[in-house]
Amino acid sequence: MSAITFINQYDAQESFDYDRRLRLLRARKVAQTEEKARAGGANEDDYGLIVQDAFIYQLAPNHPNGSIYGYQAWVENYCSVLAQHPLYCDPLDAFVGKGFLFLERLRPKAHKWNPDYPFDDLQVLFDRYNIIHGIDNCHHFTPDLQIGFDLGWGGILDKLKRCRSSKGSAHHEFYDSEITVVEAVIGFLHRMASEIDRLAEEEQNPHLKANLKEMAAVNRHVASEPPRTFREAIQWMCWFSMLSRTYNRGSAGGQLDELLRPYYEQDKAHGLLTDEEAVFYLACLFLQDSRYFQLGGPDADGRDMTSALSYLALEAADKINIACNLTIRVHDQLDPAFFRKSVVCLFRNRQGWPRYSSDTALVEGFMNCGYTRDQARKRVAAGCHWMCMPGLEYTMNDTVKINLARVFEVAFHETAVREDARIEDLWQCFNRHLEQAVNATGAGIMHHLKYQTRSQPELILNLFQQNLIEKGVNITDGGANFYNMCIDGSGLAVVIDSFAACEQHVDQKKDITYPALKALLDADFAGAEGQVMQHLLMRSPRFGGGDNPALTWAVRIKDAFTGAVRALCRRYPGIQFIPGFFSWSNTIAFGKAVGATPDGRKSGDPINHGANPNSGFRRDGAVSAMCNAIAAIQPNFGNTAPVQLELDPGIADDEEGIDKMCAMIRAILKSGNTLLNVNIIDGAKILAAHSDPFRFPDLVVRVTGFTAFFAMLSPEFRQLVVDRVKAVNPTLEQPALPDECTLSCPMPIE
Amino acid sequence: MHGLVTEIQRFSLHDGPGIRTTVFLKGCNMQCGWCHNPETISARPSLCYYPDRCIGCGRCVLACPHQAHQMKGTLHVIDRSLCRACGRCAAVCPTEALLMAGTVMTVDEVMREVRQDRVYYDESGGGVTLSGGEVLCQPAFARALIEACCAEGFAVALETNLNAPPAVVADLAQKADLVMFDIKLIDHGAHHKETGAELTTVLENARMLADMGISLIVRTPLIPGVTDQAENVAGIAAFAAKLASVRYYELLNFNPLGASKYASLDLPYAFKDSRPLSPGKLSHLKAVAEAAGITVKVN
Repeated sequence: MSAITFINQYDAQESFDYDRRLRLLRARKVAQTEEKARAGGANEDDYGLIVQDAFIYQLAPNHPNGSIYGYQAWVENYCSVLAQHPLYCDPLDAFVGKGFLFLERLRPKAHKWNPDYPFDDLQVLFDRYNIIHGIDNCHHFTPDLQIGFDLGWGGILDKLKRCRSSKGSAHHEFYDSEITVVEAVIGFLHRMASEIDRLAEEEQNPHLKANLKEMAAVNRHVASEPPRTFREAIQWMCWFSMLSRTYNRGSAGGQLDELLRPYYEQDKAHGLLTDEEAVFYLACLFLQDSRYFQLGGPDADGRDMTSALSYLALEAADKINIACNLTIRVHDQLDPAFFRKSVVCLFRNRQGWPRYSSDTALVEGFMNCGYTRDQARKRVAAGCHWMCMPGLEYTMNDTVKINLARVFEVAFHETAVREDARIEDLWQCFNRHLEQAVNATGAGIMHHLKYQTRSQPELILNLFQQNLIEKGVNITDGGANFYNMCIDGSGLAVVIDSFAACEQHVDQKKDITYPALKALLDADFAGAEGQVMQHLLMRSPRFGGGDNPALTWAVRIKDAFTGAVRALCRRYPGIQFIPGFFSWSNTIAFGKAVGATPDGRKSGDPINHGANPNSGFRRDGAVSAMCNAIAAIQPNFGNTAPVQLELDPGIADDEEGIDKMCAMIRAILKSGNTLLNVNIIDGAKILAAHSDPFRFPDLVVRVTGFTAFFAMLSPEFRQLVVDRVKAVNPTLEQPALPDECTLSCPMPIE
Repeated sequence: MHGLVTEIQRFSLHDGPGIRTTVFLKGCNMQCGWCHNPETISARPSLCYYPDRCIGCGRCVLACPHQAHQMKGTLHVIDRSLCRACGRCAAVCPTEALLMAGTVMTVDEVMREVRQDRVYYDESGGGVTLSGGEVLCQPAFARALIEACCAEGFAVALETNLNAPPAVVADLAQKADLVMFDIKLIDHGAHHKETGAELTTVLENARMLADMGISLIVRTPLIPGVTDQAENVAGIAAFAAKLASVRYYELLNFNPLGASKYASLDLPYAFKDSRPLSPGKLSHLKAVAEAAGITVKVN
């Protein structure tokens, strides 16, 4: 194993200002992304992972199937990784903290769950309804980084030892495991600091040498002590992220501006930090990893938390302009200048950031679960479509999904064998199967909670939960303060449009009977008559088309799903089950599991994206009509059904256009929506990039909840993004682009 | 109260201040050869045919009571002389290759659609725009719509050519918050030749609205070879600058997207080879207009 460093790449005479360093770092990031894309890419977040061949870790299994289960095996493997993991250090950067692997992904895919705790009965139902059950899915809740800031790794170690001494032997496996892990972390961080010291000696450029010396000092301190300065705090965050990602890809940021504000204000007051330096540090943080951070929003008393640091965070993201998962929390008191600046960034940079959440909709929804307003306001944007109270709750957010289109399909094929079937028969049948699917999903979550510790304990994120170390148990064993389990429905628009089409063409117009429609679907609309009927079905009232029968079905289906999920709370007292509508990047896989549907969708075609309507929902593609429809299906329990919006940059190319977009965002969120993801996409460019993704290696799109480099996506996923752009821009064609359009970077790359 | 509506377009960003819903009324009293919404010109419903969507199913042939549709092999042929625009063919067309432009709607039906975007109007300072065709061609319906919008607190803008008797113009305009009107040509002869209407009517109505203190936006569509001469723009700008209540003068670049609509109506289109004006020419014309001492926007 050898470190990846970039020592002595510049002459001793070269000087560097912060902007130049960021340009060079960004160029390196873009090149690394292209390398990842050429190596196969991935339909997911960037994570800041480095592709390399210097360090290949071989998993040491503790089971004949080649996988690892339980505390001991995870601890041994993780500590072994840390003992061997090389340093990645760029002298241009303010921080180190790049990781090379996710330990959880080294397990055999077929053997992630501990086979001693089978769930074969449930698996039958999971298969029947095409449910992503979430069993064995790790992280997807939010750590409280303030715990790390307050204690440092050394303080956490002391606390573990102290608590162990007061607890019985039943807790010793937990404490001994966590103590071993934290000791390995501290040892690893000290080794990294020493290596940076050595690199500082080697580096010939005086400017970069000084940076490395300071970096080494910062790292030596944060190896075990709490951070004292702005730079130390961010360095601590970078390492936390790498350590958590390396274990099980876990991370999630939090309320960035408030987390760092005390360090910023203190350093500024003592003359230790300039705004230019703060921007540079924040930009380096964003380059490190694409974690989710929230900016702005109300404090416990409803006062806006936007600060000078919120502005600097936007500036930093603006400077590097890559995949950034920043969320602005919109509320009535939000600083209007800050909000407007964020909208300018969104439209000027066209990289899918920031996105926007509604404080009112999220807070009022979460309060419907019985939480206080204060608790609800602590639930910050932390993932693709989800919010979480840092250090307080366990959620399985975004890991559990029911393919509602598949549930509909089961119900339809059961009902449609009868000549005398009517739409209400189909509805009743759908409800029965929906209830079965939701109950199976709930049982799966309970199975996960019961046995996850024996499969994969949360060794890193456990340490950043309030009162968990005191309790001495894994988070799934009662270590969290609250259990708010996420269950998302996917394919909602397919189900809505299918019900609306059946109602119109079978029950009302009597164009076709249910058995005949079933035969058509079984044949995937084959033949001339099949094609005609497919088109007629597609002309039925559509979700997103306005105040039409599809909207009535939408509310009915939303209520049924929400009711079924919330009923689980009564079945499993003490645990909240919270509904949402989201598909993440499962639109293709879910679609492949479902045959042709009465909305005119062909067998195997993707389901609708998230909570969005199907393509062609309305002839004018009106944004307001689409967003009003999505507002109508919000479950209102604190989880989201996000709006995914694709807009042309031309609609906000002047001050008036920006004003209109600010108003649009406020209106979308005021109308009841919870979360808004926006892509500002130059249609011609996205088509050109679809044909030749490496022509635009730095083009970023918001795929679902996450942003990703377009070149990293598979052709199928690129097509999905293109289809969404075409849905709101039906006349889009691909004109030739001049060569100077190749890079979208706002700063020239050296 | 009924009216003939071509289309209701929600989330409209270019038909007045803020975010708007634009209601396109059908029927126009000018005949501009460049109109990029030719389906709105006739005061009766119009049948549009988009052959690229046709799958040759023949349902229209069976549905048409006038034998206007024929399938010659795989070729779908429409005899426009037989078509009565009854819409039965479009109703059964599965792919929307056949579409009717023009739906009879009540005020309540329009308002049901308009009402859905109230929050967008409130947040943006937007509202409802009545456009065309020509809104003045359906004055009673337009009046009823304006009153219904006012009753619900929606701001109303009119997009008009001002080619109507002053009493009609004044009656509608005084209830609106904004009137956006075109002056296409400042030469009287050229105006009559290209639009079939008298320029004097337009200019007198404009002066009347200014005297009434109604907020105005003057616009000129820049049609290559017809309206895009500097002297034309300068003349219109000079006239607009004298209107006391004018907000600004807007130059609208040529929109080439109308070609497929002309084809769908089997109508000739004299501007199918024309292209939008270059950024350089737009800048020049903007400067020419600004010389008259008026704020100028280009779209």
